[in-house]
Amino acid sequence: MNAGPDGARPGIGTGPVSQDLADQDTAEVARQLRDKIAAQFGRSLHIRTLDTGSCAVCEQEIRLLSAPHYDLHRLGFFFTPAPRHADLLLVTGPMVRAFDRAARKTYQAMPGPKVVVATGACALGGVYPADPFVHGNVGEILPVDVWIPGCPPSPLALLQGLGVAVGRLAEKTPDLTFIAGPDVPGGAE
Amino acid sequence: MPFWFARGLRRGVVTTRYPARPDGSAEFLPTPPAFRPLQLTRQTADRLVAVCPSRALRRQDDVLIFDVGACTACGRCAEAAPDAITPSGEFELAATARSALVKKIPIRGETP
Repeated sequence: MNAGPDGARPGIGTGPVSQDLADQDTAEVARQLRDKIAAQFGRSLHIRTLDTGSCAVCEQEIRLLSAPHYDLHRLGFFFTPAPRHADLLLVTGPMVRAFDRAARKTYQAMPGPKVVVATGACALGGVYPADPFVHGNVGEILPVDVWIPGCPPSPLALLQGLGVAVGRLAEKTPDLTFIAGPDVPGGAE
Repeated sequence: MPFWFARGLRRGVVTTRYPARPDGSAEFLPTPPAFRPLQLTRQTADRLVAVCPSRALRRQDDVLIFDVGACTACGRCAEAAPDAITPSGEFELAATARSALVKKIPIRGETP
């Protein structure tokens, strides 16, 4: 799982875990549980996609994942049409307000532990500002665990994001600076 | 395929690791920009902020704040200031914290 170093994971279970509780009393149990979940999720994970008003290009890229070239299934990921069978919710689009109830119900219908992945620049708050029609950010409604940038994210980016979501791949974004050229003193912050 | 099949029978695991090999299409993907701080002036930065259609850029004094999550890799900033911007080549950008996607670019260019 993509648990942070503090052991508390937003979006899983019932809410934020107290830092003290997580560290002192339950850290070992939490670690074991996390390893067990990672072992279970590690080889078979079912994905439910949720389109909250996207332009459908993200969906095209997601669909490409099951094409022979990327062959998502060899990695143990599968798409499911039912949220009740899903471990991971792959959310695209800027979260139109008319979809609030459906999004919440989809999330509630999923069995825990569950992971929410926001996909594409719309879902991350890049394209549409919040207005009376859209929230402009999936995080407003659902507890997002992994953010995948891109407009659209390529299938390779999606694969890496899914890998990060189940803890199979390490995320490398925090180390990227997006500064090019020769080293600048005090450049990378 | 026969190799995978045999391995699956032997180990009881039929999945493979990612990536099995580097993907040839990766170099053709549009990627978010990388900035050259020495070529960035406040004026250039303001121009980039104005030209960005997805509000991924904003300037705070001598720091250009770049939200990779909002960037759509449209390339308009690279067109507006080709000497200050190159494609970063990074597309595997998934992050577990939204704040990890917001980058601070120092503006080090001489203001004329």
